[in-house]
Amino acid sequence: MTLSSISIPQSKPEASAVDTPALAVVDLWKSYGSNQALKGTSFVLNQGERLALLGPNGAGKTTLIRSMCGRVRPDRGQVFLLGKSIRDPDVLLQMGVIPQDLAIYADLTAKQNLECFGQLHGLRSRKLRERVAWALKWIGLEDRAHELTKGFSGGMKRRVNIACGVLHRPRILLLDEPTVGVDPQSRQRIFDMLDELNEEGTSIVLTTHHLDEAETRSDRIVIVDHGKVVAEGTIDHLIESTIGTQRQVTIQASGLLVAAPPGLEWDSEKGRFVCWVDNVADELPGILERIQKVGGVVLDLEVHQPNLHDVFLHLTGKELRE
Amino acid sequence: MIWTVMQTSWRRLKNNRSELFLTFIVPIVFFSIFAVIFGSRDSASSTPKIKIAISDTSGAALSERAVKLLEEQKSLRISENGRSNGAIKEGASGASTVSRSAAEDLVRRGMVSAAIVFEKSELADSANGLPKIEIMTDSFDQVASQVLAAIVQKAVMTANGELLKEKSDKFVQANAPTPANASMVKSSLPMNLVRTADFDANAGSSGASSPSLSQPPKIDVVDVIGGKKTNPVVAMYAAGIAVMFLLFSATTASGSLLEERENSTLDRLLCSRLTMDQLLLGKWAYLTVIGSIQMTLMFTWGAIVFGIDLLNHLDGFVALTLVTAGAAASFALMLAALCTSRMQLGWVSTIVILSMSALGGSMVPRYLMSETIQKAGLLTFNAWALDGYNKLFWRELPLADLKLELAVLLGCGFLFIVAARLFAVRWERS
Repeated sequence: MTLSSISIPQSKPEASAVDTPALAVVDLWKSYGSNQALKGTSFVLNQGERLALLGPNGAGKTTLIRSMCGRVRPDRGQVFLLGKSIRDPDVLLQMGVIPQDLAIYADLTAKQNLECFGQLHGLRSRKLRERVAWALKWIGLEDRAHELTKGFSGGMKRRVNIACGVLHRPRILLLDEPTVGVDPQSRQRIFDMLDELNEEGTSIVLTTHHLDEAETRSDRIVIVDHGKVVAEGTIDHLIESTIGTQRQVTIQASGLLVAAPPGLEWDSEKGRFVCWVDNVADELPGILERIQKVGGVVLDLEVHQPNLHDVFLHLTGKELRE
Repeated sequence: MIWTVMQTSWRRLKNNRSELFLTFIVPIVFFSIFAVIFGSRDSASSTPKIKIAISDTSGAALSERAVKLLEEQKSLRISENGRSNGAIKEGASGASTVSRSAAEDLVRRGMVSAAIVFEKSELADSANGLPKIEIMTDSFDQVASQVLAAIVQKAVMTANGELLKEKSDKFVQANAPTPANASMVKSSLPMNLVRTADFDANAGSSGASSPSLSQPPKIDVVDVIGGKKTNPVVAMYAAGIAVMFLLFSATTASGSLLEERENSTLDRLLCSRLTMDQLLLGKWAYLTVIGSIQMTLMFTWGAIVFGIDLLNHLDGFVALTLVTAGAAASFALMLAALCTSRMQLGWVSTIVILSMSALGGSMVPRYLMSETIQKAGLLTFNAWALDGYNKLFWRELPLADLKLELAVLLGCGFLFIVAARLFAVRWERS
């Protein structure tokens, strides 16, 4: 399979103007002994797009991410960055990698860390100073620039970790769980920073265990399981193509119900009646009426809108953290 | 509560294989290594021999006989050095001797631990044919000179006894008409009081002067290297300690490579413009510079406080320090690239460095070790570094005489860094 043979999905109207995907993963296979980590994984990231990469533990995400940044040599398949193979030595410089671990030097100051990784990405003299100054401002640590990072809070270390990967203005940013172990305020701050980069044109691939992050902070979602892409698309597309858009209505009722009201099913696990509706406003009054007709009294009612969690559970049979 | 603390501590130890290994196995490993290095005295071949040179220009029968006896000594090894350049001459007894200057040169270069010199004496003893006996020692080997003095004394006394016996036999045969008479005369002579001059007058010997010894011979012991030094031991141990700590600090610093791998910094570094070659060379250069500074500081301190003559050997010191620090850096990186975690590097490096230091002479001088272990010591680069520094500061040899040590250390450094690079291939792409 080649780059030209894979279809390029569109998530943003403006993305259609750009033909070459920012990142294309084409038919990747990788095994470690008898363990087949990747089994023909393929997907693309459009330019300027934010893509969330989801999968349960052991699904092959880490191998996939390491393949994307050239740290794992796949048995088969290729990865293209802006149309060029990542085997091209210069092309990787278009990518910024933010590992899940804090890949910074704890015994250097924030500024020294930024200078180190800036220099390793080819920044020198005035350009380096400008980018370091920008990064310190961007992560809100100007006043603590000369402090050793080992004294920083988890959120501050995460921000320095991210800044070290974007100093050289990469066109594609790969983030492996950038918010793991940080408080909600820091998470918000980190996503604001990423949104800022995205607005400037940086394409982002994000892996996360927070489904709400994936739902709200990405344009498109790729779900990986058993080394393969099991679904991909926008959140609406995923819901529609998997569990459908119908709302689930759960009703707790009391009274002498001799039989289940028409159109409702009894969920013995929940101890409640369940049904699915396309339009809550139109269909709910009829449902309540049917319950009353058979002598039931509605005690509680819950309407559940299908979400990414349902999709994920439907596709993988597992919770995200399993 | 106390029981719970004990139980928990034991369970933690039991679940940590590395710690378990360090606690119970490593001490036994160390004991075994040191027992092999310092305890192998079980066979004659492994017993350390004193390597000496002999110079006999006296022409005396006594010295000729003594040299022969010395050659028969199992505890001595007469140096073959100088044979190729003609410095060694075959004596009348077949013994190999060298000139006085050649013998002194061999001592100065550390090719032998000591040299025994027999010369014609200008003092009263010469009238009796007794040569002047001198032992040129190198106080680097503090044991050899003392042992050798006793051995030489014994050899000279034995040679004297043998010569007296021969002369007395001749005397008796010359003055007694019948064998029975001769035997009676011979047995009545108090050997230890006989003046050899009496024998000389009647024996008609072959022209060789005859010795006269009623007391142990006078032996002059001259320290040809350490004699002028104010604090000879310091120069000897400075190198040993410096090289051992150079290895420890280089290995500790090289652990940053494993730390970078453990916390994914290595992934980030290798996603930049940096290649694995550059990363290893950068770390090697850093460790070499730090090691050189460490050695320089140590020897500068030694020069200021203990009188090591650093200034007059600056060229040799710079060359030797650079190659030693470079080899230590390469070795440390090789160990780091070989290990999978910092903890593993910690215990592997402790075992390897202490063993190398013991074998290479950083802890105890190599001349105290058995022959086999001394040879095995040459497989460690500590031994070559120490030999180099000893040549420089102890023997005061010029830079040109350090060629072998410099070449070996350079070779070691190159091999170790190539090995480190090969081991690091697994980190580049899996």
